[in-house]
Amino acid sequence: MKKVMEQKKEQVLETAIVPDEALANIPADQETEIVVPKKPKKSFLFNIRKYGGAYLMILPAIVIVVLFAYMPMYGIIMAFKNFDARLGIMGSPWAGNYGFEHFINIFEDPNLFKAVKNTVVFGLIILFGGYPFPIILALMFNEIRSKWFKKTAQTIAYFPHFLSWVSVIGLLHTFFSVEGPLNTLMGEYLVENWVPVNPLIESKSFLSVMFLSHLWKSVGYSSVVFLAAVTGVDPGLYEAASIDGCGKWKQAWHITLPSIKPTMVIILVMSLGGLFNTNFEQVIGLHNPYNRDENQVISTIVYYRGIKGGEYSASTAFGLFQGGVSFLLVTTANWISKKITEQSIW
Amino acid sequence: MKRSLGEKTFSVVNAIIIVLICVVSIYPYLNQLAISFNDGIDARAGGITLFPRKFTWENYKLLFKDPALARAANVSVGRVLASTTLSLLVTYAAAYGLTRKGLPYRKAITLFLMFPGYISAGTIPHYINMKNLGLLNNFWVYVIPGLFAFYNMIVIRSYLQELPPEMEESAKIDGANDLIIMLRIIFPMTLPVVACVALWIAVGAWNDWTTTMIYFTDRDWDTLQYRMRIMIEEAANTQKSMESAMNGGEVQAQSQVTGASVQAATLVFTTVPILMLYPFLQKYFIKGINIGAVKG
Repeated sequence: MKKVMEQKKEQVLETAIVPDEALANIPADQETEIVVPKKPKKSFLFNIRKYGGAYLMILPAIVIVVLFAYMPMYGIIMAFKNFDARLGIMGSPWAGNYGFEHFINIFEDPNLFKAVKNTVVFGLIILFGGYPFPIILALMFNEIRSKWFKKTAQTIAYFPHFLSWVSVIGLLHTFFSVEGPLNTLMGEYLVENWVPVNPLIESKSFLSVMFLSHLWKSVGYSSVVFLAAVTGVDPGLYEAASIDGCGKWKQAWHITLPSIKPTMVIILVMSLGGLFNTNFEQVIGLHNPYNRDENQVISTIVYYRGIKGGEYSASTAFGLFQGGVSFLLVTTANWISKKITEQSIW
Repeated sequence: MKRSLGEKTFSVVNAIIIVLICVVSIYPYLNQLAISFNDGIDARAGGITLFPRKFTWENYKLLFKDPALARAANVSVGRVLASTTLSLLVTYAAAYGLTRKGLPYRKAITLFLMFPGYISAGTIPHYINMKNLGLLNNFWVYVIPGLFAFYNMIVIRSYLQELPPEMEESAKIDGANDLIIMLRIIFPMTLPVVACVALWIAVGAWNDWTTTMIYFTDRDWDTLQYRMRIMIEEAANTQKSMESAMNGGEVQAQSQVTGASVQAATLVFTTVPILMLYPFLQKYFIKGINIGAVKG
């Protein structure tokens, strides 16, 4: 879901960045392609003869989607039952409260409710706390005049994006370990009587570690889309502004930011759609026996209780709750971004 | 154009901050590299920065002697190769099929393929489904469920739609059949997008570790990433006992499972393919965003 969200983001966004003349052509082609063939409907047999090959090529994809996306949907029924593997999904008895027992429980079990709260808090902090940094970085990259310096800097800044979360957490462990660089620096140079701590095994620093590691891994690569928007700004505007005596700050504020506003808005709206989805890989990767109890999110509870603990029905319900809320958020975000892009482009 | 003093200061400060960001981005990895080439006991004293203090190949030798790690490397490479080739095949074929002129039900099929991106059944129903399909503790769970990816299909499809239709028409006049047109004319023209999608799939497959965590209890099918994960869990335990020992607490029995140096060597080892492909990755990942842009 998360991945799809990001992908959607990129799609929508790029539409906003493409130069005007390209944009004007695209919908036109598509329209004619769909509208023009107004021939009488061909028979089924004719279609199969003519398009059999094409259908055959699409078939494997359909099979995969049916097997791994549509078939599991049948399992959603588990959320309304007390699933027993021996009885199967259909044979298992319905859950109490007209089948909604597990959903009601989300608000009654303090651990589950805390996970919901964490999901929202983590999501908000990552979304709003992390949002400005890629934009600032893009503006800074844009100010570099030397080509090779810009290229080298970008190459280095994008690097963390390509590491797996496990590797990133491995690096964090080295950096934060009690004998590692951070504790050495603090102890030997900055603070007297420094007591070495490793924030990775402290419950209370979980959120900071999560936020900073997210920033470290994603800021460079996330700046790509904004940089594309920034480079698209008409240089004539800057020249005119500097003749009028506008300094760098004024130029950034009055020219660059308004010019990339569509991109900024779309990115923000699309991330709102992903607000209720924590990055499972990151959170569960950062979990260890010393910090995990206080820092559960919905997806990790589903994993621990459902897959590890075998509470299939309750976990399905919890996951479905998350999926439902996310779906609402994503569709709303899509709807808003459609409205915005239409207005800002046309 | 003359630059004012203010602008010059601005450029310098900007450059300094960029350099700092670059240092922060790359230092942890370079540090890890140095530790991986450093003697394990010496590394425990800390203070290694960019270069190893007591150089040794021991950590890597230990690594390559570990049969579990060798097996994990095979599983990782195997799944990346299988995923990349097969997923590309399925996804490309679907994209190609959907771009045939006048295909009936094109829209319905596209919607059918797109819908799961919006609502998914959730972790547990997926798990039960894999169980019913016999894919738990089965190598193919790494490959088969990911054979089709809607976004990748869209990216390939938009590229195909951009190709000039005259190419195909003239080939048809020359008497080439559909299969030959696809393999000899269209496919070579789409190589840039194929490379881009292939790299996406490969990096995703290489870096994934939650599939192992969710669908495997049999440690024979661990990937390299999952071996890393196990080491990190051990490291957390070691850290806890070290922390309490350093802070005057009771010295617990230190689990000398994996030293930091061996862990560092493992990490470097698992990132070697990423480093080797990095120039292409950077180029094609960014190119890919732009291709996907053309038509959403």
